[in-house]
Amino acid sequence: MIDFHTHPVLIREFVEKYPGYERMARRVFNIGNNFQPLETFFLQMDVAGIEKAVLLPIDCRRARKDAVSSNEQVAELCARSDRFIGFASVDPMKKNAAKDLENAVRKLGLRGLKLDPALQDFRPHDRKAMDVYEAAAELKIPLVIHTGMSWAPETLLARGNPLLLEEPVRAVPKLNFVLAHWGWPWVWEATALALKYPNVYLDTSCLYYDSPKEFYQFVFSKQIPTTVIERSLRNKVVFGSNYPRVEIKNMVHALKSLGLTEGCLNKILRENAERLLGIRAGD
Amino acid sequence: MIIKLERVKIQSRKTEEAIDITAKVDEIVAHSGVKNGLVNVLTSHTSSGLLVTEGIPCLEEDILTHFSRIFPEDADYHHRRYLDFDGRLGFNADAHLKSILGGISCSFPIEDGKVVRGSRQTIYFMEYDGPLERTCLIQVLGE
Repeated sequence: MIDFHTHPVLIREFVEKYPGYERMARRVFNIGNNFQPLETFFLQMDVAGIEKAVLLPIDCRRARKDAVSSNEQVAELCARSDRFIGFASVDPMKKNAAKDLENAVRKLGLRGLKLDPALQDFRPHDRKAMDVYEAAAELKIPLVIHTGMSWAPETLLARGNPLLLEEPVRAVPKLNFVLAHWGWPWVWEATALALKYPNVYLDTSCLYYDSPKEFYQFVFSKQIPTTVIERSLRNKVVFGSNYPRVEIKNMVHALKSLGLTEGCLNKILRENAERLLGIRAGD
Repeated sequence: MIIKLERVKIQSRKTEEAIDITAKVDEIVAHSGVKNGLVNVLTSHTSSGLLVTEGIPCLEEDILTHFSRIFPEDADYHHRRYLDFDGRLGFNADAHLKSILGGISCSFPIEDGKVVRGSRQTIYFMEYDGPLERTCLIQVLGE
């Protein structure tokens, strides 16, 4: 199983090594949990049955002073373990963003792009952002882009409206857009985009109240019918936990509580992610 | 009077786990220089615990199983909401309640430099919300 949405923001080994890492976690990412040794990350994956995790940085230095993990930190973690799949992040408003992305992919070996219009403070349909989308398409890497509500302080809720991505999705059809957090609370808007456009995917890393199981039961059976996932979106959804905002195991259990068929779960928990990442089964 | 406080890191490896720390407590007492006094053992967390019971696997399993029966994971807890001071949701009320039920500390007398406890008594660090690295406090007081 693959977790498509994790953030390496509580790695104990990085606190002493990288000045500003702790400040980033507390002030920018806004998480208060204790820092943990890297081993805990692997154990959290183990108890959830997760073999590989996508690590997502966010280059929000212009907007928030600190990046939420750097590309280099992500690459360092990937070098330590092949259980990690590292993504890059660049600032779309920066002049050389496309080149930065190319370097992160070719030199650091990162395998996708992560953007967060709220935290990075840019409009998702800005012309400069379009250049970065096109660069990602050229590099044949997927994009995980924050949609929906952000817990980070000082961020605009409106920047997470998934419909702001419709123009980019249409303009860059060769780029696969993974809409993080299923766009909550705009879950129907995110669902509609995934239904309409072949290059739009959704990740399951949404949890904003109650327990994971309660939240999933409401959003994925009452807010949108579970049958939409089972019948129409089974090839368009990837599992994401948003660890460490939530433990991975709780999100896996919540997903499995929906009553989806084994075939559908296999796609969400593995096959769709492998296809997006260009991983062949068994690699 | 000697007062020594050790912060012992414990890496739990499962969601719930009973970890025998008896030997570690004995070792710290033996190296403390205290001949006669008291040792206090505490967890520094609110979703783990400290308890003493007979050191056999069936009891370890019974404790965890029946604590979960009393405080099931899926019960209707108020502690299922966004915690702004943590930047994440809290939904581990069951772990907190197990910690309260089982307790968070224990203490034993020290005599002639050794911990005085019953032959069946084993000291367990109890993980209710792992896997996590935890800190166990072991304080030795005496002369």
